[in-house]
Amino acid sequence: MANSNGANSELFETLRLELRRGCLILAVLAELRTERYGYTLRKALADGGLEIDEGTLYPLLRRLETQGLLVSEWREEEKRNKRFYRLSEMGEQILQQLLEEWQRINGSLGRILQEADRI
Amino acid sequence: MSKTSTQRTEELLDRYLQAVRFWLPKAQQEDISAELAEDLHSQIEEKEGELGRSLDEEEMSAILKRCGSPIVVASRYRPQTQLIGPVLFPIYEFVLKVTLLWVLIPLFVVIVGPAVILPAANRMGAFLQILSTLFTALIASTVAITIVFAVLERTASKCNMLDKWDVRSLPAVPKQSKQQPSRTHSIFELIFGVIGFAWLLLVPHYPFLLLGPAANFIVPGTLWQTYYLPMVVLSFAGILHQAVSLARPQWTWLPPTARLVVTILTLALAQSMIRAVGHGTGPDWHPFVAVAPGIADSAQAVKVAAVVNVIALISVLATCLGLSIATVKQTWDVLRHFRGPSNARNVALLRCLL
Repeated sequence: MANSNGANSELFETLRLELRRGCLILAVLAELRTERYGYTLRKALADGGLEIDEGTLYPLLRRLETQGLLVSEWREEEKRNKRFYRLSEMGEQILQQLLEEWQRINGSLGRILQEADRI
Repeated sequence: MSKTSTQRTEELLDRYLQAVRFWLPKAQQEDISAELAEDLHSQIEEKEGELGRSLDEEEMSAILKRCGSPIVVASRYRPQTQLIGPVLFPIYEFVLKVTLLWVLIPLFVVIVGPAVILPAANRMGAFLQILSTLFTALIASTVAITIVFAVLERTASKCNMLDKWDVRSLPAVPKQSKQQPSRTHSIFELIFGVIGFAWLLLVPHYPFLLLGPAANFIVPGTLWQTYYLPMVVLSFAGILHQAVSLARPQWTWLPPTARLVVTILTLALAQSMIRAVGHGTGPDWHPFVAVAPGIADSAQAVKVAAVVNVIALISVLATCLGLSIATVKQTWDVLRHFRGPSNARNVALLRCLL
């Protein structure tokens, strides 16, 4: 029984991470409509209810920058060098498309869940 | 001079960043570690602001521990690399299994092994040599197959190889996964088995059935007497499995398994016969047939007997080769029977690729 619970929670964790992955990209792109550096971005996401650790965020930022969705620059602030990120022009277009897709999926899922509740 | 608490926590941070840097791609080491250091400094500052004092070693360790082990943190910055990806892996596994388990090992066990070990003076030495050669062959094949698939992995997507497929070229679905043998086929097998068995039982009483007209001046040799009983037993075992297969057609595992067992036993018998033939030499060499006692024109009879013995030996050698091939094929049948048609998908994929 204990093993079964352990396996269930492990499975849930895997599925949760899968579900979260795409949402995180959307959230990061949305937050970077305003220029931020890594730590403040993490704070902003956490304040919005999406906790993300540094080991996940920074590799994601690098990937998005490589894909041309973000631009970054090193600048000194409060006597420390910080890397500031913001959405690129292409990033803005892609974010717009992704948000539309997100609305569509969200709406579909809502309808599917309502139908399932009626049955 | 002892270090201050701040110096010790700074040292821990430096050690952590150095460990992360070690696992990062060289070109990005400084950039990534600087960014990570900035984040960690911000976390430390915030925590120190909350506590109103500098962090101690325990608190610093807790922050770094939560950040993750250096190798895991560094690994997240690297693109996910796989030697063989999930698309090609089932085909790779299938090819590896076929090559190692169904070709190399049976080849060594059934053909190469007996051919090297049986005639060797030092059989244990020959056995160990074969074992070492088999091991080398297994490793070399695995490496070669892995290299081919690793290259394929890196070129297949570029050449759009996986898109070049046609649904009509896929293998047909088997009508019945564990097809029962045809009843007519089983009946005929049984009839011929019984006829063969009866023939074998009659041969000692009527040598004409074995030797034809030559039975007037040659008789079965010593080998015949030694191996007659095992041959009768094997022949009877063949009839028995054919009869049971006919009576219990739902035991679909029986025909391929029994056929394999009978083939292996017959092969062992034939090999033992070849070894026994090798022991005799010179004018007394008449293992299969000998000149009948009291024959007047014995020179002519000796010539005929010698020719028959050589032909019989060649026949047994050919039988050995045939049985070796049959053993490999029947082993495959048995494996396929017990595993079912689960590899059809892999074969289909393989066909699409080739």
